[in-house]
Amino acid sequence: MAEYASKDTMAAVAALAREQELRSTVRDGTKWYAWYQVIFGSAAAVMVLSIGLISRPYGVAIGCGIWFTVIIGLSIYAARQRVARLGFKRRHASLIIAWGLLYGGVLSAGLRWFPGVVAWWVPGALLVALPGLIGGYLEARR
Amino acid sequence: MTTSHPGIHPRHGLDEVIHAPVRFSIVATLAAADKAEFGFVRDTVEVSDSVLSRQVATLEKAGYVAVTKGYVGKRPRTWLALTPDGRAAFVAHCQALRAIAETAADR
Repeated sequence: MAEYASKDTMAAVAALAREQELRSTVRDGTKWYAWYQVIFGSAAAVMVLSIGLISRPYGVAIGCGIWFTVIIGLSIYAARQRVARLGFKRRHASLIIAWGLLYGGVLSAGLRWFPGVVAWWVPGALLVALPGLIGGYLEARR
Repeated sequence: MTTSHPGIHPRHGLDEVIHAPVRFSIVATLAAADKAEFGFVRDTVEVSDSVLSRQVATLEKAGYVAVTKGYVGKRPRTWLALTPDGRAAFVAHCQALRAIAETAADR
């Protein structure tokens, strides 16, 4: 009876260890999302700087051109990945909502009151990049 | 599938479908992800395509795994994900495993 109990215990401990090992493997496989977020944040900052500091229509054209190219590239990159982290949809929705709110705020205030003002657009670009940069950092630390 | 028997050995809380080693590994892999490609699960669990297909069919029949087919470009892909029932069953199964391990540690 004791031997039977011991076998049960060993099997349980081995299964729990295997679960940890597999979780770690999956976590490694989802690290791509850290890069995704960092590139997303950086591209958002470049777009804001371009729209805010380069004269129209070139700034808008360059900024949007870079942005759409990066977004298409990131979409292809994401579609080719073999595993998505637990809570991916929620995390990604948070990234897009945070970016959208900051981008909308910086852009609308900047175009109305601070056209071409470096002191507005540089901190604004950093602010818009933050959701991606912080998200990427947190993702890499998981 | 999980049945609880208060006051009885925690092994009775183990889920019969998940308990098999390969199925346990498949479910443990999927529990750590929103979804995973068939090939990723195969490589992670280290089984053949046919073994994985067979075990996934069992898990799908139990309502623990959802299988989605699609394309990335022209390449067909099969995605696997745990259903809410599958996730709950896995959590309960792991609790039973921990209880078994702790029962032995208490002796």
